[in-house]
Amino acid sequence: MKECKIVSRKFAIEGSHTLEVAKHHNAYRSLEKRGEFTPTQMIKIIKDANLRGKGGGGASAGEKWELMPQDGDKPSFLAVNCDESEPGTFKDRQIITYDPHLLIEGIILTCYAIKSKHAYIYIRGEYKEYQDILQNAIDEAYEDGLLESCDITIHRGAGAYICGEKSALLESMEGKRGHPRLKPKQKEPEWFFGNPTLVNNVETIATVPFIIQNGSDAYREYGTHCSPGTLLFGMSGHVNKPGVYESEFGVSMLEYIEHFGGGVKNGKKLKAVIPGGVSCGVLTARECKDLTLDYEAMRTAGSSLGTGGMIIMDEDTDMVAVLKNILEFYHEESCGQCTPCREGTGWSDKILQKIVNKRGTKKDLEKLFELADVMNGKTICVFAPSVSSVLISFITKFRDEFERAVS
Amino acid sequence: MSFTFNQDDLNKIKELKTRYPSPDALCLPCLWMAQTKEGYISIDAIDAISEQIGLAPMQIYGVVTFYTMFHLQKPDRLQVDVCKTLSCKLCGSDEILKHLKSKDVYVNHVECLGSCGTAPMMQIKDKNYENLTNEKVDAILEELL
Amino acid sequence: MSEICEVIVDGEIHEAKEGSLLIDLLIEEGVKIPYFCYHESLGADGNCRMCMVGIKGEKRPQIACDTLIKKDMEVFSNTDVIKKVRTDILELELLNHPVDCPICDQAGECSLQDFYMDYGLHESKVEIEDKVKNSKHVDLGSSVVLDQERCVLCARCTRFTTEITHTNELGIVGRGDSAKVTTMPGRELSNPYAMNVVDLCPVGALTSKDFRFSQRVWLLETHNSICHGCAKGCNIYIDHNKLKYKDDVIYRFRPRKNLEVNGHFICDEGRLSYKDVQENRQEFSTFNHIEVEQDIAISKFKNFLEQHHKNIHILIDANLYTEEIEAILEFAKSIKAEVFSPLEVYTDEGFADDMLKCSNRASNYKTIENLNISTENPNNSELIINFNHPQNFESLMQIDFCTHKSDTNSLVFAIAAFTENEGSLTNVDGITQQTQKAVKKNNPQPSIIEWLTRIDL
Repeated sequence: MKECKIVSRKFAIEGSHTLEVAKHHNAYRSLEKRGEFTPTQMIKIIKDANLRGKGGGGASAGEKWELMPQDGDKPSFLAVNCDESEPGTFKDRQIITYDPHLLIEGIILTCYAIKSKHAYIYIRGEYKEYQDILQNAIDEAYEDGLLESCDITIHRGAGAYICGEKSALLESMEGKRGHPRLKPKQKEPEWFFGNPTLVNNVETIATVPFIIQNGSDAYREYGTHCSPGTLLFGMSGHVNKPGVYESEFGVSMLEYIEHFGGGVKNGKKLKAVIPGGVSCGVLTARECKDLTLDYEAMRTAGSSLGTGGMIIMDEDTDMVAVLKNILEFYHEESCGQCTPCREGTGWSDKILQKIVNKRGTKKDLEKLFELADVMNGKTICVFAPSVSSVLISFITKFRDEFERAVS
Repeated sequence: MSFTFNQDDLNKIKELKTRYPSPDALCLPCLWMAQTKEGYISIDAIDAISEQIGLAPMQIYGVVTFYTMFHLQKPDRLQVDVCKTLSCKLCGSDEILKHLKSKDVYVNHVECLGSCGTAPMMQIKDKNYENLTNEKVDAILEELL
Repeated sequence: MSEICEVIVDGEIHEAKEGSLLIDLLIEEGVKIPYFCYHESLGADGNCRMCMVGIKGEKRPQIACDTLIKKDMEVFSNTDVIKKVRTDILELELLNHPVDCPICDQAGECSLQDFYMDYGLHESKVEIEDKVKNSKHVDLGSSVVLDQERCVLCARCTRFTTEITHTNELGIVGRGDSAKVTTMPGRELSNPYAMNVVDLCPVGALTSKDFRFSQRVWLLETHNSICHGCAKGCNIYIDHNKLKYKDDVIYRFRPRKNLEVNGHFICDEGRLSYKDVQENRQEFSTFNHIEVEQDIAISKFKNFLEQHHKNIHILIDANLYTEEIEAILEFAKSIKAEVFSPLEVYTDEGFADDMLKCSNRASNYKTIENLNISTENPNNSELIINFNHPQNFESLMQIDFCTHKSDTNSLVFAIAAFTENEGSLTNVDGITQQTQKAVKKNNPQPSIIEWLTRIDL
């Protein structure tokens, strides 16, 4: 496993969250590149590096940056998505706790590139402890005169997974309920009170200083051709050393679990892995055998890389109970705006409850497949399609367990 | 009204208003200020916020009921948020929940708190308590109660 | 961007403005398309997902309410795929819906029922005890009753109080399938147009307390008319029914769409004015409070005319139909009477607002002005013939033609109300509109024109 310290370089250093220590370890060095590159040139570097969004979608960051107007009459904004509520994911928390100045550095560069004078960090309400660390870092940056070119304001959420969806995040910041917006037919930026806004994940922004400092080629030395660079992959569940460990894309999943995670806990055999947070389809141990940690391989395997937060399940895991747990999550977190998701998540949770209570029938399994179909491709956002793919993957791949549960 | 913002709060609101293109955006920040003051969001607080930022009280009320962390009633006991989502469940959150039944606290079964690598865990008054065992829970609660 | 272009819907060519909403075209052209949350006055919300159609070139079905017309667009509203989408989504709308049809006022004009018959016909696959429970028959105020279980969360009512009346009483609270519509605790729905949410609600979640349990809608006969509450002339439907052994009774007024006059709404006062039209009526002709036969009344009338022929003043109510006013003018000419219609009594500044309500409460005052009828008060009157004007003036003798009970001793002729008659009115903006004769009473009072014809000088 190649040593990768693009984003996690300062994590293990004591006091890394303070300006003094951070600066001692070369924080904010990349800012001088603003003298070398124009905003448009900076966007090109990000695009050439093929930096892909690390919030779960994996879309090209550079292409998103290009949608922001360079010459507009309206002010542009940056919204950094620190809502991190995807179960299995706890990586952005590491950045704001152990290297908040790296994030601030990334924000300053991004604001320069998209010509924005104001950045918001939307942080989930439950991260108050880490929010305080981040706010201290921002205060230090203000005092040091680093934030002359752009303001940073932390906006605290209050407990809603759906506010991690970029349009729901902006609705929430606009003082409304976090309902995702209808998607426009053409490519355009997001809007905050009618002003063009860029929404990017914390880790994506935290990667920007490295790329600008060292160039797009340096970034592409890591990872694969289509998934260049690194990700703060994580492991939790039945693993010996759960945690967040940065790695380049393209490494073998099982090797990663062995090398960083110390393998499955208690010497048990691996049964299943959810590769990138609970909105990704489950993978059986056999499917993981030759699988690599990158977007394309995951898609080919019928799942998705998501946030890279792997949930490891050993041979004794009851997959029916796992699916029930996941559906409870979705039932709780549906915003309720559109019919297929609101009623579909509720009903599929109730059906699973019946199955868990040993009152389920084969017809119930059929019904779950029907619900998966209704929830796919007919809703306002991608929340319901995730439920759909999770349902299908669990029941298909662990068919015998589910059939036993309803017999 | 029985809820008022003091001068510090009003200064903070004034400063925040300069950071957003519209005062509507102060909805969440003001709600947090109110809940930090009183421990919950009262209808009077909603009316006071409405006066400050111009959003209709019903819209603010709709926002309050949308999020899990806002409470419309004053909690009468210590609130303990225990994560029940997958990684914590795989690592024994059920055991912790069972153990907490015997304590004089109000247990909220909440969804993923972003602490999957240090499961099982709980959050009390914005502070995380991770890698829990029954003994650790006892020790923590003894200190807090 | 607003050129007319061609669009193909289910193989047929239609013309539409480029950039306009697809759903508007489908509704206009009578293409059957289900929807809950879209409303012309409120725009699209995109949350019910029922209006999905297939569009050539798009991988997935798109909602018609959020699709703009493009040149040569091809739309498929009736393929098997779309039919299945509708059936599936409808099943989910019905999932937590209580089976209240037997007691629900909305039955017969309910979108869920209509769509179920067109696209559903499924058997319920969920147990009653698994359905999400909520509050029923909540009195919201302003004569509106809320049933949260029936609600499909289309958000039409909340958008109405936010975007149309700007009073913000209604909102959605909670999340997921425990989301529901409500007011703030202890607060009521309270604005002059509140009852319009009853019409907007596509199901029986919001119903009128006034109409509650009073009549099944399929028994009602509907006629077009104009509200007589003020000079705005809001277009209404009169819903009435004649039960066996009873008289023809009006059960409610509903707004009728007219984009030039009242849009889609009417004010609550106008909506409930159907009661006043029917109550306290002058049923028969009377003299000295004693009922007299019509022929006797007419002969008395002729006697009084002769008696006071040198000084007759005629008062005209500014709510009468134009045809009636013109007939009275003819009559006045023939008996050489002076005609007055004082308008100040109809003015109510406090009633007016910036939406529909006018400060002039007379529905046809414009005709009074157009016909140059004097708006002065009559004085030194010997005989006053009052055609339903609300004011009394001093005179030696008064003869009334009125719809509602008069307390004078004099000769009183009972006349038909506007709902029992037809004619035209000109509203405050100069727009002339027609009404239909709606109510046919068992013992109808003659209209003014019928009386004048019978009197036949």
